[in-house]
Amino acid sequence: MAPVSLCINTQTPLVQYLVPPDGDRLDPVSRNPSDLATLREGVDFRFSPGGVTRMVYPLVRRLLEEKFVHEAHWVALNPHAPPTVRLGAMTLHNVTLESDRMAGYGRVKEAIWGRIHEIDATEHHDDLFWTEAFSEYAYYNRRTAELIRALDEQHDFDVFYVHDFQQMAVGHMLGTLKPKVFRWHIPFDLATIPETWRALLTTYLDSYDVIVVSSAKYAESLAALHPKAKVLHLYPYLDPTDYSRPPRTTVAATAARLGIGSRDEVALLVGRMDPIKGQDLAIAALARVAGEFPSLKLVLVGNGSFSGSRAGLGLSKSAAWRAHLEEQVAQLGLGDRVVFTGHLPQADLDGLYERCRFTILPSLREGFGLVAVESWLHGKPAIVTQRAGVAELIRDGVNGLLFDPDDPADLPRQIRALMDERSGPLRARLARNGRAASKKCSLAAAEKAEREMLAEVTEA
Amino acid sequence: MVDLAAAWSEFAPYLVPVVIVVLTIVIAWLVQLILGRLMRQSTPQMAGSARRLGVVVVALIGGTLALQAVGVNPTVLLLVIGLLGVTIIVALREPLSNYGAKYFSDIYTPFKVGDTILVQGVSGKVIEINAMTTVLLSDSDQLISVPNVAMIRDVVINTSPQAWKELSVPVSIGSAVDLPAFESALLKSLGKLRARLDPRFPPVLTTKSRTPQATDLILTLMLRHPEDRDALTLEVNKRLAELLERMRGLRH
Repeated sequence: MAPVSLCINTQTPLVQYLVPPDGDRLDPVSRNPSDLATLREGVDFRFSPGGVTRMVYPLVRRLLEEKFVHEAHWVALNPHAPPTVRLGAMTLHNVTLESDRMAGYGRVKEAIWGRIHEIDATEHHDDLFWTEAFSEYAYYNRRTAELIRALDEQHDFDVFYVHDFQQMAVGHMLGTLKPKVFRWHIPFDLATIPETWRALLTTYLDSYDVIVVSSAKYAESLAALHPKAKVLHLYPYLDPTDYSRPPRTTVAATAARLGIGSRDEVALLVGRMDPIKGQDLAIAALARVAGEFPSLKLVLVGNGSFSGSRAGLGLSKSAAWRAHLEEQVAQLGLGDRVVFTGHLPQADLDGLYERCRFTILPSLREGFGLVAVESWLHGKPAIVTQRAGVAELIRDGVNGLLFDPDDPADLPRQIRALMDERSGPLRARLARNGRAASKKCSLAAAEKAEREMLAEVTEA
Repeated sequence: MVDLAAAWSEFAPYLVPVVIVVLTIVIAWLVQLILGRLMRQSTPQMAGSARRLGVVVVALIGGTLALQAVGVNPTVLLLVIGLLGVTIIVALREPLSNYGAKYFSDIYTPFKVGDTILVQGVSGKVIEINAMTTVLLSDSDQLISVPNVAMIRDVVINTSPQAWKELSVPVSIGSAVDLPAFESALLKSLGKLRARLDPRFPPVLTTKSRTPQATDLILTLMLRHPEDRDALTLEVNKRLAELLERMRGLRH
């Protein structure tokens, strides 16, 4: 088939600016797009942590390299960036939002997110779509749709690929008959969605040709809503070539800098500072086993999301959660056993994966949980909450260990299993089988499925 | 030296027609403004049509008076225009009645593309409403074309589930009005009518078509009580007109 022209839409931008857009090196008023090649990564900009950079970007890059896509435009919410930026063969377009509208938008998206993750099931959210704040959510979606529509007039896209619930109205608002794909990244359980949300949700979802979710369980639940779109489940994915074994010197330097001694055993937890990520469960579990394993340290990597960062949307909840966790650590007397690293550069993160004995994914609810796959790619066993999408891939005791986050004794039980001095064979088996399971979440496998799906909708 | 008297005598015959033309423009502007305000509770289409009609009537009167002022006898001209009009109306009676019916059915007939209706003994899903006919797709995959005039002359039954609840209001906004800001303000405004609307169906604004000059949208609301339809239609149109006026004002 002929190469396609693709328009991607995410809330989180691929690139965040570390200098203000009116800084010397950026030219927001230039008629030509600013080119990222003229800026320095880590100084002027950084790639956003998380799925946008780890998953969507490698896919688009691969599709461009293989000429399946001949032109890619990426539209995202980025209030602190020039309107248009070139990144290789891609063009990034940034949507801005006034601060008062941002606040309303943020409240709605947090409410949707909280309800779907079952961390805030209060009834006052039942009328969410009638609130004044919702008008700002609609504003952001319409503003995005209007930008995409204007770009479509210039570039005549073949397909629109909209990512996640923050932009779910964009497909409807585009008002085009061209193919539209929507990826729902968070969990989908119809039981968590209030009756008063379903009609509007259906209106929005019915505007897409295909809806992609992250697990078979979510696809089954979404099908119960009888959407007009084809529902597809496709595991999130990573590029295994991004995961190589770091040199010993790097690992040792990272560990030393973070205060990890040569005899310490590390339990690694990678996730943004957010109550949904369940860091408190891991700290409580550590408290239960700390006396049995004096060398065990829990290392918490991550800070706020793009929504919470100053360079992002400024809707922070991460600072409060970190303060809560630090207080919990102090109360449990674990000050010398828990390390908060904040955000780490990829090299340091690779070093920690290499250094750790096992990883923990303790989220109360998780759309998928790519950090478990990262753990497998680094050859480390993963202890995973039963409430993560990735749990669907785990056979307890075969390629990972599962635990029930509602049972306070369950996570300590699994930690003991991996800390036991005779656990060598178990850890080796979990690591080996985990690496095999990670192939289901590899870019190569996903690229094939994504290409088939895109070819189907564009040729249909 | 310029002969002022001669110049005046040359210019004077044109002064009155020029004044009439200027006055006609001013009066036409005032008429469309007044009609717009008087009809703010009607649908935007009705208000727009009334404004246009007002302007045409004033322009015709003004034009006739101006011609008279320059010495042209307008009687013959008016007669020709009148006869031409009658000829066109007679020749295009059927299409015009269908076109007129389409205009009124857009505003008053309670069905839209996608609904299933029963009219003149035939039933089907509405797949197109054009200037002349409404096209239905029957259960047996037959295309049925029903003249629009039937939609206002005959009994039309909308058999779609919950059709009585649905209130579809056409909205047309000029390209200079910021659509995201308009939608956001509209949703805020409609939130005040929530007690009269079905809480399971928040208002939805759907883009129907777009030209460089305007965007045509449909606002869909779901009523809580069928008897509120008239009152809500008036209230929603009033809010829409006020909002559009305010946003046009913001633009200026």
